[in-house]
Amino acid sequence: MTFLDYISGVPAYLEREWSDLLELTFEHLLVVLVTIVLATVIALGLGLATYRNRNGARAVLTVTGTFLTVPSFALFGLFIPIFGLGAVPTVVALVLYSLLPIARNTITGLRSVDPAIVESAQGMGLSRRQRLLRIELPLAWPVIMTGVRVSTLMIVGIAAIAAIVNGPGLGGPIFQGLSAIGTQRGFNLAFTGTLFVAMLALLLDGLLGMISKLTTSKGL
Amino acid sequence: MPEHEQGTATAASIRLESLTKRYPGQAESAVDNITMDIPAGEIVVLVGPSGCGKTTSLKMINRIIEPTSGRIFIDGEDVTHVNADQLRRRIGYVIQQVGLFPHMTIAENIGMVPGLLGWSRARISERVDELLDLVGMEPSAYRARYPKELSGGQSQRVGVARAMSADPPVLLMDEPFGAIDPITRERLQNEFLRLQSNIRKTIVFVTHDIDEAIKLGDRIAILRKGSKIAQYDTPEAILTAPADDFVADFIGSGASLKRLSLSRVRDVELSQWAVGRLDDDRAHLRQALTNSDHGSLLLLDENQRPVRWVTGHDLTRSGESLDRVGLPAAATVEPHATLHDALNEMVTSRVGCAIVVDDQRRYQGIVDMRTVMRAIDEMRESSRARDRDTAGQPAEAG
Repeated sequence: MTFLDYISGVPAYLEREWSDLLELTFEHLLVVLVTIVLATVIALGLGLATYRNRNGARAVLTVTGTFLTVPSFALFGLFIPIFGLGAVPTVVALVLYSLLPIARNTITGLRSVDPAIVESAQGMGLSRRQRLLRIELPLAWPVIMTGVRVSTLMIVGIAAIAAIVNGPGLGGPIFQGLSAIGTQRGFNLAFTGTLFVAMLALLLDGLLGMISKLTTSKGL
Repeated sequence: MPEHEQGTATAASIRLESLTKRYPGQAESAVDNITMDIPAGEIVVLVGPSGCGKTTSLKMINRIIEPTSGRIFIDGEDVTHVNADQLRRRIGYVIQQVGLFPHMTIAENIGMVPGLLGWSRARISERVDELLDLVGMEPSAYRARYPKELSGGQSQRVGVARAMSADPPVLLMDEPFGAIDPITRERLQNEFLRLQSNIRKTIVFVTHDIDEAIKLGDRIAILRKGSKIAQYDTPEAILTAPADDFVADFIGSGASLKRLSLSRVRDVELSQWAVGRLDDDRAHLRQALTNSDHGSLLLLDENQRPVRWVTGHDLTRSGESLDRVGLPAAATVEPHATLHDALNEMVTSRVGCAIVVDDQRRYQGIVDMRTVMRAIDEMRESSRARDRDTAGQPAEAG
């Protein structure tokens, strides 16, 4: 059977399994969203806490960078003894993966705010907190959002691997398909799973791009 | 708005007492024991070579830099240890890089401090418009713009408006016109003086440019390393009697030419010139020119604004309309400009004189070489008189 033969079998499969696939896609989306929200909160916090402290920032970037170097298969597996199987170890591992881009962009973004702007805010009597919330964060915002988008794109793909810890989402059909590769059914599962993951990634990226644009001042 | 009326009239005196800033690990103090009284309502310029500590001294007044020791008084109140954020809301601050908030509109930038002080929306918006007017920017055109849409000169105008938003009695300005091209700088300086003649704030102004100091300062403090005051006096006194070689060197050559910066166009007697209206009859204009002892005639439009210089020859060319013959009436100065500015305009103008116009650009008179020479003679005479007085006094010991 050629690749084209396999492909030609996909539409019928799609029609049959449509609602299951949508449900899995939705699960996948949910895992990604929960992960990104958690990761953004944590990474933003780490960035805010350390951007003015050279050693602190370096420590944050080194540690979050190290998470990224652990092969995803291994990381998911390592959490089984601690968190068991299912959604929890999936989200924990994915959060660890998505910290670096967000933390790095938070630190870079906050550091690239023109010191003259911060000084004039200080000279006008804005407190430390007001300077951060009203001046520095809004100015660093587009850079931070870029970090969030990079993490999201990455996480949509890695979340599929969470199937090895029985995680939710499109990883299930992909792994099943891979174990039955060579058959039409195996191809259907792996191909549509991958296709939906890619589409979800593009959709989320577009959505975040729009959110970023809407939440960034027109003056920037 | 009672609070507002209360605010406009106030300017506060400033006293720096043994103010010192020492950075850890540095042998010498950046600012070493400066004591200085700054009278209310005056512009005091701190000027000195780079690294002399003038900016550090300025930034200790609003405690952007916390002094190591010494005290700061504003209107007699010791503010050395009060809440710094509260203090800064009462002190306007303008820096060279302006530092407008790029993500906020011009109105939001200017309304920031009033907002922090809890003013109502309506009052803030009224104040924003008032300030934009004050710095010569049409409120309806600029209110909603973002800083990136402004030129350097406009940004600095907004910077000044923002610093004055809550009507602070004190304004600190750190080389505010330093990064602006010379022509715009000149204009901003003149606008600034005109503004100050209305608002009468206490202004501490830092620059490294002695000419700017002479032009703007009611008093100048010339500082040497460690913010040691070499001389603190009126520009006139510093130019006529530099305290020592350091001051003399810093003023540089051409002190008498610099003194032209001390006289304003409005203080000298303007020459009158033969003028005519664009819509006047040509024969009438020729007659006016013949009756005058000038070689050319200045044509004004219906609003009394200068338009063209024309000669008798230009007036005989019948084909062209009057607003196209002769030379454009460039080289204009406002009454707030200094004689130095006027001389500058004069030298670059092809007619050899500068036209004085009011803030509506209406014709007021002419400054020419004779006006400038007369002013120089007067200055010479008064400094000679001072020398005679000094010579008459018994010499002091030391």
